Amino acid sequence: MKKDYSILKKSDVPAFFASLANEMQLIGPKQLFAGDVTFDVIQSHKDIYWDYGHVVYPPKRFLLPHFEDMFRYTCDEQIKIEPTCNPQPQAIVAIRSCDVAAIRFQENFFSYPIVDPYYKERLNNTVLFNLVCNTPPKEECFCICCDSGPWLESGFDVQLTDLGDRFLYEVGSDKGEKATEPRAYMLLPATPADIEARRQIELQADSRFQTVSYLAKAINFISADEVPAKIWEDLGSTCFRCGACTNLCPVCTCFTVDDREEPDGTFTRCRSWDSCQYAGFTREASGHNPRPTFGSRVARRFYHKTSYQYIIRDGRHGCVGCGRCITACLTKLGLPDVVKRIRREMHEFLPPKEKAAEV
Amino acid sequence: MSYVLTTCGFCSCGCAMYVQQENGKVTGLFPSENHPVSNGRLCIKGWNATPAILGADRLIKPLVRNGDRLEATSWDDAINYAASALKKIISESGPQSIGIIGSAKTTNEECYSLVKFARSVIRTPNIDGACRFYDASLIPALLETTGTPGSQVELSAIPKAGSILIVGSNVMEQLAHVGSRIEDAADNGCKVVAIDPRETRLAPHTSLWLHPKPGADLAWIRAFLKIIIAERLYTKNAPEIPGFEELRASLEGIEISQLKYSCWLEPAEVHKAVELVASNPPTIVMFGLGALQQPHSTEIVKGLANIAILLGGSVMTLRGQNNAQGACDVGLTNDLLPGYLKLADPVARKVWELVWNCQLPAEPGMTAVEMLKACESGTLKALLVFGENVALSAPNTQATLSALNKVGFLAVSDLYLTETANIADVVFPACSFLEKDGTFTNIERRLQRVRKVFERIGESKSDLEIIAMLGAALGAKMSADPEKVMAEISSSAPIYKGQSFRQLDEEWGRPWVPAENEAKLAPIETVTKDSEGEYPFYLIASRINFHQQTGTMTARSSVLAREYPETFAEMNEADAERLGIRPGSSIKIISETCSLTRVLSVSESVPKGCVHVPHFFGGDSPNALASYETDPVSGVPIYKAYAVKIEAVR
Repeated sequence: MKKDYSILKKSDVPAFFASLANEMQLIGPKQLFAGDVTFDVIQSHKDIYWDYGHVVYPPKRFLLPHFEDMFRYTCDEQIKIEPTCNPQPQAIVAIRSCDVAAIRFQENFFSYPIVDPYYKERLNNTVLFNLVCNTPPKEECFCICCDSGPWLESGFDVQLTDLGDRFLYEVGSDKGEKATEPRAYMLLPATPADIEARRQIELQADSRFQTVSYLAKAINFISADEVPAKIWEDLGSTCFRCGACTNLCPVCTCFTVDDREEPDGTFTRCRSWDSCQYAGFTREASGHNPRPTFGSRVARRFYHKTSYQYIIRDGRHGCVGCGRCITACLTKLGLPDVVKRIRREMHEFLPPKEKAAEV
Repeated sequence: MSYVLTTCGFCSCGCAMYVQQENGKVTGLFPSENHPVSNGRLCIKGWNATPAILGADRLIKPLVRNGDRLEATSWDDAINYAASALKKIISESGPQSIGIIGSAKTTNEECYSLVKFARSVIRTPNIDGACRFYDASLIPALLETTGTPGSQVELSAIPKAGSILIVGSNVMEQLAHVGSRIEDAADNGCKVVAIDPRETRLAPHTSLWLHPKPGADLAWIRAFLKIIIAERLYTKNAPEIPGFEELRASLEGIEISQLKYSCWLEPAEVHKAVELVASNPPTIVMFGLGALQQPHSTEIVKGLANIAILLGGSVMTLRGQNNAQGACDVGLTNDLLPGYLKLADPVARKVWELVWNCQLPAEPGMTAVEMLKACESGTLKALLVFGENVALSAPNTQATLSALNKVGFLAVSDLYLTETANIADVVFPACSFLEKDGTFTNIERRLQRVRKVFERIGESKSDLEIIAMLGAALGAKMSADPEKVMAEISSSAPIYKGQSFRQLDEEWGRPWVPAENEAKLAPIETVTKDSEGEYPFYLIASRINFHQQTGTMTARSSVLAREYPETFAEMNEADAERLGIRPGSSIKIISETCSLTRVLSVSESVPKGCVHVPHFFGGDSPNALASYETDPVSGVPIYKAYAVKIEAVR
């Protein structure tokens, strides 16, 4: 669709989102305690905390809830199933580019080869108002290395760039257009100066990152299956098995289901986030575990994040550079650290000729 | 939907987390990014066990025994039933025939209220806490040495340490936030010396790992001290520290060359450990339950504190339960008053007599283990247990079950129908930490707010409310308002002075400040106990990543329960071969008290002559194998060094 730039003055932001809230639930960044921020249901547009860097708890949970009741059933004479999931229209406001990119990855995963009706219905009911990061990124951010920020070329429904007293307003999808239409009268045409201001922000973005992850070499080694088990086992030996990397990764999709008996005798099928870093996740019914060691499980995670296989299938890395794996990890198994260690330690395993070429 | 900031109720790290609920269920949770402990991180229990607290089998109504069955009843009936039974026992046998055991899982306000209830309403001296089963030996030992009955430093000191001596703790699995900081310290060049019979996941971060004989830590500790003193490796002013000469004298006669026999360690290894620790200040001496649940654990803690003092370092206590520190701080012990004031001290007694309006005995009451023995012998006619699954957490399960069955009246307050609650006369449905307000005190003495996320499940109530109701039925007025109870604690317990809900709500909690006591060195007596002959193996019982305490909460998480679907025991390959037992087959582990069966796996992390058994497989706890033998000073059972024999199950 044709890109159309407009301007939303900050003085019109309250009216714009108050009007949107009449049509759908608003989800946005909200201040909690002592600098903690999270995405939550916004009761008033005043609660949207625009000036945040990043949040540790990814907004993916508004599409794939952390703990979710899927349906309730009874097992009397006849099995009766009663759905409990009834997604309502929602707008996720001021979501960051990395999280939008992650949602597109998840959309691929939950659409093919099996369509997950829960995810699909929620996504169909969701409009993403992406907020470009044009303030210095947080220390652990490296979206620039994963082509998932600080701004997006596509994937958003609406993209907002803060230009001081106004937002540059970009519509990126039909859904975004539909959400914009009733409020289009509040938008002004963007001037060439506005477009230039945005271009300057893009030009400055690269130099602001403190963390970078040179993925290419690691992708080569991992895709060619050249990383020796020893490196993976060394990395795995430090893993605390907390599962935070997978919980907080906005790209990760793994879940488990279990059935819970309710006090009234009915049963609820529940879905919750799970982790490939837990041994029980891949253990088979026979007791055999195809990924029995910590190292093999860590290897699995980084194959998923960086090998060609997933880039070919999903069109992008399994990482959006949000840096939550760095924040959340009790040890140092964030993606940039692992990539760095693979690049450095592989020298030990390369044959002399290749080692020379490396230098 | 909304998030409530609260303090995690599993281990003693005390992470701050936000919990979201909808229609009585957890729908989301995440760690605080700015909290000084959690820093955006949670361990596996925090991530997975919190929703399991709201399991469908939570007790929702009080239960009263009718013959073989526990039947649901009203709160009024249950309280009146318990109060009548207690009144009758008091009038017939006196208040001292009632014993009360509290939990280190409950809030400070609940622990304090239970102490007050025992001492001023029931007027029994027999009040004790679950710490008696775990880490109570550190209190007398540290009061005598460092003067601070807890960690001397905060978690933020760990990454800056020059050396860490860590004894008897599977820290990476049980206290992940401590483990993570030890790893940071090692990356910063800190020399980590671990002393533990079994090698754990801490190993990649250590400079040296020594494998002493289980239960023989005192032998190497005495040698360690002797080397420090003999080679003048101590800090400059150490000889002026009170007790230096007495300590030196108590170490005379030690034959370091005999270490191999007394504790399986080579003298050169111990020398190397001393050298690493002494030459890399500042030193933090850490110890966990491995050091605290063995013969003469009070002496062991004194010895470890002496090492820290001599080297100018500090002590960090790696306690287990979420509120182990706070429970002791507010007086949930048989021999101390809130704030670690001694019962024997008439001035301290006077303070609390005025607050509680009662007379206090100068003599300590029974410890938890002594109470169980007294239930068996008939000395105790009633036992009240709040939040502790004594049937599994106490040693000698057979004897404990017999004692609990024998006592005239047993009342239990808990979330679920635990093995203990199942044999009670009356069961009070308690609520979890997600359903109440209060405070916990973490491993670094940080007093933190616990905030109510949920409305109470069913008719459950907080222990604070239950104690107040019981108090009222016995004619006493006790507050069920946690804020008022904290105000009462902080008004009279010096270490909690200035703490209030209002102040705690304005910041990330606040560590209580240790009194400025001058450190003292304590003489260390030698004790050895060999277990050979009929029972040639040492059993090492340990905790694993996925569960806390007796698994009452964590085992209800489907993800955590999934990780180890069956029970197991680990043994060195050489031992298994010698016994002709193949991995995957069942073995019987037999002690003097009973036996249990496990599937064997082999692991080089377990030294020869030992068998490792993790806790948390329902009623089949390795605690069953222990006897009622305890450390003579603190009364902590000897869980970590009992002798067993192994037989193949054919």
